[in-house]
Amino acid sequence: MSERPVLDVSGLPTTAFGHRDPLWWGLAGLMSIEGTMFAIMAASYFYLRGGAHLWPPAGTLHPGLGITTLNLAILLASIVPMHFAADAAEREDLPKIRLWLIVATVLIVAFLGVRIAVLQRLTFRWNSHAYGSLIWTTVGLHTLHVVTGIVENLLLITLLTKGPVEDKHMDDMRLNSMYWYFVVACWVPFYCIFFLDPGLLGASAG
Amino acid sequence: MSAEPIDPGRTVEDPPADVPEADRRLLERTWEYASGLWGWLAEVDHTRIGVRYIATALIFFALGGIEALMMRVQLARPENGFLGPDLYNQVFTTHGSTMMFLFAVPIMLGLGVYLVPMMVGTRNLAFPRLNAFSYYVYLIGGLFLYAAFFLNTGPDAGWFAYVPLSGPQFSPGKRVDVWAQMITFTEISSLAVAVNLITTIFKQRAPGMSLNRIPIYVWAMLVTSFMVIFAMPAVMLSSLMLALDRLVDTHFFNPAEGGDALLWQHLFWFFGHPEVYIIFIPATGIVSTILAPFTRREVFGYMALVLSLVATGFIGFGLWVHHMFATGLPQLGLSFFTAASIMIAIPSGIQMFCWIATLWGGKLRFKTPLLYVLAFIFTFMIGGLTGVMLAAVPFNTQVHDTYFVVAHFHYVLIGGAVFPLLGGLFYWFPKMTGRMLSETWGKVSFALVFLGFQVTFFPQHILGFEGMPRRVYTYLPETGWGNLNLLSTVGAFILGLGVLVFVGNMLASMMSGAPAGDDPWESDTLEWSTSSPPPPYNFQYLPTVGARAPLWHRSENQPVVVGLRSDRREFLITGMLDADPDHRQVSPGPTIWPFFLSLGVGITFIVGIFTPWGLPIGAVPCAISLIAWFWPRGDQGHHVLKEKKS
Repeated sequence: MSERPVLDVSGLPTTAFGHRDPLWWGLAGLMSIEGTMFAIMAASYFYLRGGAHLWPPAGTLHPGLGITTLNLAILLASIVPMHFAADAAEREDLPKIRLWLIVATVLIVAFLGVRIAVLQRLTFRWNSHAYGSLIWTTVGLHTLHVVTGIVENLLLITLLTKGPVEDKHMDDMRLNSMYWYFVVACWVPFYCIFFLDPGLLGASAG
Repeated sequence: MSAEPIDPGRTVEDPPADVPEADRRLLERTWEYASGLWGWLAEVDHTRIGVRYIATALIFFALGGIEALMMRVQLARPENGFLGPDLYNQVFTTHGSTMMFLFAVPIMLGLGVYLVPMMVGTRNLAFPRLNAFSYYVYLIGGLFLYAAFFLNTGPDAGWFAYVPLSGPQFSPGKRVDVWAQMITFTEISSLAVAVNLITTIFKQRAPGMSLNRIPIYVWAMLVTSFMVIFAMPAVMLSSLMLALDRLVDTHFFNPAEGGDALLWQHLFWFFGHPEVYIIFIPATGIVSTILAPFTRREVFGYMALVLSLVATGFIGFGLWVHHMFATGLPQLGLSFFTAASIMIAIPSGIQMFCWIATLWGGKLRFKTPLLYVLAFIFTFMIGGLTGVMLAAVPFNTQVHDTYFVVAHFHYVLIGGAVFPLLGGLFYWFPKMTGRMLSETWGKVSFALVFLGFQVTFFPQHILGFEGMPRRVYTYLPETGWGNLNLLSTVGAFILGLGVLVFVGNMLASMMSGAPAGDDPWESDTLEWSTSSPPPPYNFQYLPTVGARAPLWHRSENQPVVVGLRSDRREFLITGMLDADPDHRQVSPGPTIWPFFLSLGVGITFIVGIFTPWGLPIGAVPCAISLIAWFWPRGDQGHHVLKEKKS
């Protein structure tokens, strides 16, 4: 090895938060993919609606603006403990992270419960008509994300309880919250087009 | 001893007199390939997996080629009886699906998996285990399609599976479901690779490789990856809708219940048109890369080339309706998409002029890779021109669904992507194997491929003008199409022979080719600065970069990176814009769980063809694998390989 100038990086840290961490980019990629999927779902809704004579189809009853809005409120509320959990992760305050993750998980499970009640009130199924196919499939895809969120939270709670917890896990906690905000945000437009718009304006002609 | 170690906390058993050598041996042990069958399945190294991608895709290329030859035999003369109509439908559908989903996209992404980490000067991809998972999901999807094909359940509704033909009413049985699930497998795989490449390119470039010094090939893979992310969800979702329509009686595409058959075409082509560019853009990256060493100059117009790539990436999303000109769309829509389809010729044209300018001022070395580039320029020019013709609605309606379209897209896809790819494989083969391909046989195979291609596909333009529709299993003698079809068949066999010679050359050279050395072509990009084949850690000292062509403008004072620990799989994370060193991370070692996860995904989708319970059934192995994959072992400071030995 001849004399050669070097760039010594041994002093650099071994963890970094936020977009300095490659994992953040991996998650951003995942959110872009799934966000695109939900956007295309919404586009399909409006495409079929634009070609329909009556939308929603005749005989469709609204499941109730109250219960669907309540459900959205529970979902939005779950952001708060997830945010506190991420906050606590920044301070490496393990008991607080665990506490807020448990609160969030309880809220998310409650959300799923109310969602099941909403689905029971629907007067159609996925095989009734294309409108039913759109709503059931979208709810199904979103529920899959919600269930994934619950499983992730439970795993993190277990990890926090059993250890060993490393400093790099703090970034995982924050990314977990970031992903949850995304799952919540995905539902808001669908609440509007599925429940709010027909609820406020009634069954409108297409 | 300027390259002095590194981290005092590290254990080096050799005396410091020979530090680089001891350090190299330690790196060797840390990054060692896993051994045995278990180790093979657990491998996470990007060069190993990249080569697997390429080899697997080439096998599917051969299968798709055999199907093409079967079709050409059937069409060689009127009223031929070689393939019946049902088998012919399966063969052309499997041919198209194989070439698009199992050959073209995977081999382009696989080449990126192999090259990008070395070109940007890092040790592995950002998510090595995700990379292993991508490969296995792709492999399972491909094997699944062919298992079904040999069980007489090969898809038969065309590679774009239009409803209502592919719907429950007109395609009973499981053939279309096989197609839909194969799509999902390959798209998951491509999406995972795209995320991996983007992250690697953004966060792991060698210090000094600012945005304006990224090799053009890497730019091409970056644009391609973004296109994958925004295009492929459309086909995943639409194939899910199709599968649901067929399995649980949803009505997405059923007009009787408020669905719409055209929704399928919109969703499919919103993916399908960008798909063409997902295949073509990496090929242009290969062309720009090959040109430099074989013209002995940097490629002309770096900035114009990069901006053209990015522009193509955007405009590529605005063209999809030109596949649907015959569906009765409103006038405004037709005009808009005609304009967009003509507009995309602008960035392609700019690239073309940059390549010609490079050739113009260069000292050309007429080796096989350059011949493929020249063949690409010639052939893609023709395919591009017929593309501009097809963008005009009246012309499009006239030749819609005829062999003119078949000729056009084979000129674009084979001329535009396969020619550069073959040139690229010839060019990088020495890096992958340490041996040169035979130049003589390379030229022989090039001549056969080029000649065979033109003889096969040029007559199809004329057949299209004469009205021969695509996807017919035979035609009547009175049509007068017999002679041109026979010519086309002869060409197909010449082309097939050329590919055979290419593959034979690869196999023979792998055994007995001349040793290549590190940099046989005197190239300008970083992958040639390490040995051939590269060690599992790619570079003993990560490079830094001071110029766009780092190997041609290497100054004596260009520093190398030291200070990464060699006793664990450490690599350097840099800033996104200027690639300033930011922090160090540990790259995960071999593990079996991505393989098991891909099996879980396989169970989900394959059982899902028969019953909706596929989802909960498959979710169990998927969840177990994911949890095992991510469960922390606290082994960050340890020798990861040891734990995996079982």
